[in-house]
Amino acid sequence: MLSFVLRRLLQAVLVLLTISFASFMIQGKLGDPVRQMVGTSVSVEQREALRDELGLNDPTLVQYGRFLGQALQGDLGTSYYYKESTLTVIANRLPATLELSFCALVLVIVMATPLGVFAAINPKNWLSRSILLFSTLGLSIPIFIVAVFLMYFFAIEWRLLPSFGRGDTTQVLGLWQSGLFNKDGLMHLLLPSVSLAFVMTPIFIRLIRAEMIDVLQSDYIRFAWSKGISAPRIYFIHALKNTMLPVITVGGIQTGTLIAYTILTESIFQWPGMGFLFMDAVTRVDAPLISAYLIVVGLIFVVTNTLVDVVYGLVNPRVRIPGYSA
Amino acid sequence: MLVRVLILGCIVLGSLSAYAAQIRVAIDADPISLDPHEQLSEGGIQYSHAVFDPLVRWRHDGSFEPRLATSWQMRDDNTMRVTLRDDVLFHSGNAMTADDVVFTIRRLKRSVDFKALFNIIEDVDKIDAYTVDIHTKHPYPLMLNILAYVFVMDQQYYAGQDDVIKFGETFASKNVSGTGPFIVEKRIAGQTLELVRNALYWDDESDGNVERLEMIPIRSDSTRLAALLTGDVDIVSPVAPVDMARVSRTPGISLSSIAGTRVVILQMNESRREEFRDVRVRQAMNLAINQSLIVEKILRGHGVAAGQLSASPFQGHVPELTPQYDLERAKQLMKEAGYEEGFRVTMMAPNNRYMGDEKIAQAAAAMLQKINITVDLKTLPKAQYFQQYDQRVADVMMLGWQADTFDSNNIYEFLLACPNPDTGMGAYNASEYCNPVIDSDIRHANREMNPERRVHALRQIERQIYDDAVVIPLYWQSIVWAAKSDIELDHVVNFLNFPYWGNLEVER
Amino acid sequence: MNILHRPLIPTSTKPTRLRHILSAIRGDKLALFALLIFAFYCLVALLAPLLAPYDSSSNDFMDLLNAELPPYWQSGDSRFLLGTDTQGRDLLSVILYGTRLSLTIGVCAVLIQLLLGVCIGLLSGYIGGRLDTFLMRCADIQLSFSTMMVAIVVLAVFQALFGNAAYQQLAMLMLIIVLGIAEWPIFARIIRACVLAEKEKEYVDAARIMGVSKVRIMFRHILPNTVSPILVILTIQIANAIVAEAALSFLGLGMPPTQPSLGALISSGVNYLFSGAWWIAVFPSITLIILIFVMNLLGDWLRDHLNPQTGKGVP
Repeated sequence: MLSFVLRRLLQAVLVLLTISFASFMIQGKLGDPVRQMVGTSVSVEQREALRDELGLNDPTLVQYGRFLGQALQGDLGTSYYYKESTLTVIANRLPATLELSFCALVLVIVMATPLGVFAAINPKNWLSRSILLFSTLGLSIPIFIVAVFLMYFFAIEWRLLPSFGRGDTTQVLGLWQSGLFNKDGLMHLLLPSVSLAFVMTPIFIRLIRAEMIDVLQSDYIRFAWSKGISAPRIYFIHALKNTMLPVITVGGIQTGTLIAYTILTESIFQWPGMGFLFMDAVTRVDAPLISAYLIVVGLIFVVTNTLVDVVYGLVNPRVRIPGYSA
Repeated sequence: MLVRVLILGCIVLGSLSAYAAQIRVAIDADPISLDPHEQLSEGGIQYSHAVFDPLVRWRHDGSFEPRLATSWQMRDDNTMRVTLRDDVLFHSGNAMTADDVVFTIRRLKRSVDFKALFNIIEDVDKIDAYTVDIHTKHPYPLMLNILAYVFVMDQQYYAGQDDVIKFGETFASKNVSGTGPFIVEKRIAGQTLELVRNALYWDDESDGNVERLEMIPIRSDSTRLAALLTGDVDIVSPVAPVDMARVSRTPGISLSSIAGTRVVILQMNESRREEFRDVRVRQAMNLAINQSLIVEKILRGHGVAAGQLSASPFQGHVPELTPQYDLERAKQLMKEAGYEEGFRVTMMAPNNRYMGDEKIAQAAAAMLQKINITVDLKTLPKAQYFQQYDQRVADVMMLGWQADTFDSNNIYEFLLACPNPDTGMGAYNASEYCNPVIDSDIRHANREMNPERRVHALRQIERQIYDDAVVIPLYWQSIVWAAKSDIELDHVVNFLNFPYWGNLEVER
Repeated sequence: MNILHRPLIPTSTKPTRLRHILSAIRGDKLALFALLIFAFYCLVALLAPLLAPYDSSSNDFMDLLNAELPPYWQSGDSRFLLGTDTQGRDLLSVILYGTRLSLTIGVCAVLIQLLLGVCIGLLSGYIGGRLDTFLMRCADIQLSFSTMMVAIVVLAVFQALFGNAAYQQLAMLMLIIVLGIAEWPIFARIIRACVLAEKEKEYVDAARIMGVSKVRIMFRHILPNTVSPILVILTIQIANAIVAEAALSFLGLGMPPTQPSLGALISSGVNYLFSGAWWIAVFPSITLIILIFVMNLLGDWLRDHLNPQTGKGVP
């Protein structure tokens, strides 16, 4: 087991190195930060001097070596635009994305669990069939269409909800700026999190339904029936408990999807989170910020996946994980 | 004691009612730094007008209004004497004197972005506490136009830490002390810039009553407009042409649209394409493009179709040079030039820089198709576009030009002069057109102190390039702001697109 | 975008598979309906140049004079049934061509996924050992990065690299390659799982003993047994590729405005929602949603019928 975990860690480091090299290479290819920021009447030599000053004219490997050395000390460079350490910039935006994802996930769980369970318990019922049909429909509507039309109707046509940003935030325990503890912040949170939840819910309805059906067919549930345990107790205590763990681990792998979706949602609602920051950095050609974002997101991916692998391997020994042959 | 409390109370109440307005402004991009000398951009100058004061500034009619300078006169051909106000305090509490002006101008000469404008200034001398002499390298007709960019900075405040470095983490990029109507209270780059009224502002004739001004950058046109429609912000700019009809229809919201001077053109690269060296081809392309239709359909009338480079307030403007559209004549010219069958060209345009840029590029490509010129169009975000622009990678390039000096010659210097890396002349001449006569005319106009002769020289250049069809002028972009109806924007927003927020009056 | 976590257990396959599917689908009205609509889409995509009222390559296709006309029933202009976009293009024609583009990109991308997935899956499953471990780790890692993330980054770099007008011709190819490469592991995993299951069976042992070559065993004996699970994934993967392409175009990283796919059309139309020109965004959106919906329905149906044991709805 220990060697399995160690091997996973080594792999994680290799992956991160690859990501760091890729994101470093991107720096040189993504437009020219100098041209972007200098005003219109600046001569070529002045720009060239500025490039020298920023170290943009050194050989690639020298630049990468410098980049890695600094990265190991927790210094992923200074954002051209924010003039702050890129990690600080990202850390400042992280709470917004986390809160958005958290609220979306809460909505997803609240909606998906009862629907998924219901569809699993009564597979032939017409209501179950329509739940499944609607979940397929939900899967078929791209998130940007959902977000744009929600914004159009709720913010523009009916003027019920704000259309952009986070609104008021409050400092929580001196740790982060939260929009969860005041009305304005919650109002701002509503549309983006509903959009995210809208596309994630069908995924989870199907996941929960499928896992639940599996569990209901298992021996110990049949045993529970024969013992005469009441139906609600079987469904909601015994079966659901065993359904949720695989659902959560499989859901963990959806982190990547979630992050991609936050990029789209945040861009549309100008939610000041990491995804919006990233798209902003791409348009501004803020190369250090782009590569720092990739590394941070890569880190999140690698950590969640390694965790999920280990947890899933422990929970469900039926699944043979390659390299885990203990 | 009681009386004093009452009086104090009245003062507080009085000031509250006089200065109660809190305004939130959504713009497309926030200034990159608190240092006004770090970037020469529209957003940067807008910020400077709120937090700093220039020596002089433009009035709505194009004349100059004294600000920190009270008067100015030419001592000789190369020297201007400027007298300063003696009652101005910086936000730090320091008094503004001639030393600050000398400091500011010398710093501007060190700024990467501003040095091109200020190169003409040889040096500045302090004469007494409120007088300076400004020496130029040669007689220069546009001295005041340049002084409008001298936003005086606090020498004592910045002393010893006055570096001006692009993207640098300098003291000045994070700390600020100006003389302007607003004091910076809080800035989160990319999210908000919060300003509060300067209680000790020297200009007591101003009727401005905005107590708090918040600037919020919102990149996407539709999100920005949505913010105004939902009441999240009070003022927005720019407004996308497609949304203007909606804005005018919405009760409680009004639109101010002012003719601007930024000209948007297409440049045909004569070094890359042999065909473009034929003046008939260039004329045919000019005739094939229907500028008025573009302005009407894509800009919804919020622009002026251009047949030349200089907008009407500029001295080089020649009223007779109107945009021509004649498809038959264009086809005829193509035939005469031997290109009846047409040819294929590449074209590039930015997609987030000028009003409707991408749509206009597409429309222009479709119009050129009608004289059998097939256009492979690529549009890019501005950051990538201007890199490609510098390398001249496409045959046809789109460019918008706002003359910083608000003078025709600035356009000619950068867009028409033979490209010369040493002097920086023709830096944006993607036509790669080179005409020594025009070059010498430009040099002449830069020294000509006699206003009439200067106007004549500028118009001469404008006519010459019209006849030669050097570029395809498309339109002059309008400056469009939208605000809640109770905000009187018209006397604040001007043809320069430098709103003087200090003068904004709101009745609530 | 989607993770099939447990290997699907393939059912035994027979040559009459297709006939079997067809007869089954006739009994299910919803699936039949979905199939018909999907067939209609494919037909329309194939015949777009013949069906479209206007030729997109003609000089007169774009005329600013006709810009933003509402649909026929509002404008009364019989030339443009669904109205025109902001460049004066007939919306119906643009949608037909856009559907064709979207489907082409989706199908081609999935073909690349399939090709890569089959090769890697067979290798990994049949040879096993360290190679298997390595390849499957790569698959895990590749999948953990969402396709969208990878595509956004890669396309942004491509755009900068090719910079000039050459990118316009390359945009479609790039989208296909990026979407194709990003999701090969989904196929690879399934094929590998099938191979692992089949490998242990007697007939493979028998073939091996008879001296049949490894390659032949893989392609002639094992591969045919993976057709069912592949079919299930195929439709859903195409739908996913189309959605991903649309999202990329929406972010401005996809097809150029002169050659719009459905996503690019929606993206440009969204800017006109506020100004009242709703049709520019709404019609392409509906077209896209229906297409994806019927493909997902078909995918679900295939899964239910080809893999009775796994009633799993993997998105």
